Amino acid sequence: MIRRGALGVCAILAAFGFACASTPARQLNEAQAARAKSLGLKVKCMCGGCNDPAGACFHSGGAFSGPCDMALSEIKLIDDRVAKGESDDAILKDFVAQYGPTVLVDPPKAGFDLTAWIVPVLVPLVGLFGVWEVARRWRQKHPAAAAASANASGISPEIIARVQHDIERDEP
Amino acid sequence: MDILGSFALLLALIVAAYAFFAGIAGIFTRRSLLKKSALNAGMAVFFLITVAVGVLEFFFFTDNYSLAYVAEHSNRALPAFYKFAALWAGQEGSLLWWSWLLSAYAFFVLFLNRKKHPELMPYVGVVIAGVQVFFLTLNNFVANAFNVLAAPGANGAMSVVALSDGRGLTPLLQYPEMVIHPPMLYLGYTGFTIPFAFALAALLGRYPGEKWIHITRRWTMIAWCFQTVGIILGAHWAYSMLGWGGYWEWDPVENASLLPWITGTAFLHSVMMQEKRGMMKIWNVWLVFTTFMLCILGTLLTRSGIVNSVHAFAQSSIGGWFVGFLAIILVVCFLAYWKNRDYLRGDNQLDSLVSRESSFLFNNLILLAACFAVLWGTLFPVLSEWVVGSKVSVGAPFFNQVNVPIALFLLFLTGVGPLLAWRKTSTDALKRNFAWPAGLSLVAGVVGFALGFRQFYALVCLILSVFVVLTIFLEFFRGARVIAARESTNLLTAVGSLTMRNTRRYGGYVVHLGMVMIFIGIAGQAFNKDVRAELNIGQTMKIGPYTLLCQNFDEIANNNYQSSRATLEVFRDGKSQMMLFPQRRFFPASGETETIVATRSSPLRDLYVVYAGRSPQDGHPVIHAYLNPLVKWIWFGGLVVVLGTLLALLPNRRAAIVRSSVRERAWDGTVVAEAAPAQVAVTRGASHD
Repeated sequence: MIRRGALGVCAILAAFGFACASTPARQLNEAQAARAKSLGLKVKCMCGGCNDPAGACFHSGGAFSGPCDMALSEIKLIDDRVAKGESDDAILKDFVAQYGPTVLVDPPKAGFDLTAWIVPVLVPLVGLFGVWEVARRWRQKHPAAAAASANASGISPEIIARVQHDIERDEP
Repeated sequence: MDILGSFALLLALIVAAYAFFAGIAGIFTRRSLLKKSALNAGMAVFFLITVAVGVLEFFFFTDNYSLAYVAEHSNRALPAFYKFAALWAGQEGSLLWWSWLLSAYAFFVLFLNRKKHPELMPYVGVVIAGVQVFFLTLNNFVANAFNVLAAPGANGAMSVVALSDGRGLTPLLQYPEMVIHPPMLYLGYTGFTIPFAFALAALLGRYPGEKWIHITRRWTMIAWCFQTVGIILGAHWAYSMLGWGGYWEWDPVENASLLPWITGTAFLHSVMMQEKRGMMKIWNVWLVFTTFMLCILGTLLTRSGIVNSVHAFAQSSIGGWFVGFLAIILVVCFLAYWKNRDYLRGDNQLDSLVSRESSFLFNNLILLAACFAVLWGTLFPVLSEWVVGSKVSVGAPFFNQVNVPIALFLLFLTGVGPLLAWRKTSTDALKRNFAWPAGLSLVAGVVGFALGFRQFYALVCLILSVFVVLTIFLEFFRGARVIAARESTNLLTAVGSLTMRNTRRYGGYVVHLGMVMIFIGIAGQAFNKDVRAELNIGQTMKIGPYTLLCQNFDEIANNNYQSSRATLEVFRDGKSQMMLFPQRRFFPASGETETIVATRSSPLRDLYVVYAGRSPQDGHPVIHAYLNPLVKWIWFGGLVVVLGTLLALLPNRRAAIVRSSVRERAWDGTVVAEAAPAQVAVTRGASHD
């Protein structure tokens, strides 16, 4: 049922997109143009022949190093919807409904795909805790070992400290 | 002739297998003759693969298109320069090239150490031979470059046929850097086999102490240096050829080259902990294992088609072999570690959290975090599809968002590390070492902000870059000042003398300096501009301070390609600066087109101009101009990194004290000259501190 509904939405969006692509683009003011440019870099060109964002489609190796028809239609759709005052989220959601999440240049920050963003932050934090813990343990080992070796050798802690100071001075 | 190549390749596999099994037998039976025979076999593999490579190149240079690989990747019109490079243009040839480079490394390692380390080398020989057996199996049975073209004859029987001409080399590879970039990168990948072989050998043979690290340190640095050159050249090629104004797209193939480079960098730092303090033995062994495994994983990712890549050789069914090999390596490494883990017990003691040791710990953590982030982003589309059934894209913005903060923290540690002493740094020393660099870098930040550096990361990068450069100069200055005073010499000579007395340390600082230059170049990306315009003859377009006047469009042709060329005159402040000739080349043999970018490059900015071709909508010529600040710093930075690494590879020259005065006497014994006691620099072996 959900799938049938999604297909219906896709068909409407595709028809809407085609209609938009075949009519002249609306004039955008400076702020709208910047928004449209930014959105153009968030969706991929879905021609299947490149991996570029629609807003930066350049088709290396092709006959023309610039946006292909598919990228142009996506850019035009974005321009028109920005001109109508629609939000970024609404525009991107419709792209996802039409092409699936792969149309977005980056993983969505929702559902399972949120982990794409969280894990690279979480792992260094866990690592930081691990390093801290290791450093703490190694540090705990030190006084006992130093004391043991000092006792064993009969060298006073003052002399050990002085030698350590010398080592520090020699090897900055 | 192709029979000779196939035979040499098959014989190489048999000899490598002999080196592997005879080596194992020699180790178990303790028969030195068997061990020696295995090591000699390991060296012989190099000559056999050289024959195979030579035969394949002979086919390329004689335009013999009876081999499928040659017909697929070359043609008669291809310049000789690229016929040589066509060897690694496809799957089969690049795997053969891999095997050859690995065998060359193996030959030199086994030859140079043939009379040294008798307990360790048989194990090393076995590990290298094991890796060679895998790649030679692929060369012989999975991706054979000597497969001939065959067609049914009049009687229905298959016979060898030779095409009159080949399909030609992919235009994207017809660029001078493509003759150097892949070999450099492969020298990096294959070079990491050597430290891996020594680490595994030391573990399996329970070889005492840190000897394996001393032996392999240079090999690791050589592999790392080649990997660096390969990565930088790849970025430069992408910048000069693809015509998109960038140099790094976070493509899986690019990421694959970066992963072992990052862990290799971590190893080159953490290894000092083991050498100086006997710490992190387990960590170092696993870093070397991981670096090698990432080389294999990267190859698996890019050649199996698991992840989408713009690189042509990415799609094939060879992935399963690499999965199997990776699994075997993982099991062998784990078993070797588990069985001999007591041998790796280190003397892990930390005197203070504010010490060089701590900075290395954090350096390793950050490098590993960066490595994980790149790997995670590369693999996430596969993971997402596997878990939720729908594929997502992970593009450059993701990698930039995740990695930029990590990289900046690493830059911070690059500055902090050298200022911290081994064991413990006192508060006074901290103040003394940090005050000037920190203060001046903050001043630079304020100046940068006033000059328009408003992008947060770019500003932070500027501050940290100044900080690191100052700490490096301070390190050179302090040491040189002491030498200058002692030896009554000028500061510049003293810097040279200081550097040559501890090449590894000061070479390392030069590498850091190069990395700072690369960071500055990357930070310039925040200020990129581009303009695309239809430009007919006589029309102009503006970008930044430049005005481009279109003077002409013409066509040039040779045997290999037809080129459409735009002639643009560059003006600045109304004055003509230079002419630029961006081109589009069409290669009839492959039916593909490539972009030849025209650049006006300076340390401050690149004016980067692309002739995009004629607009499909209205047929007018389109020029895409980019203004890319500071890009040149990346290429110079890469050069400085390489020079620093080469410096670090040199043996130390140590000062020896001449304790008594030196008298030069004439033949009759009378003193004719006398030198006072002084320090005299002498070259002494290969010792590094």
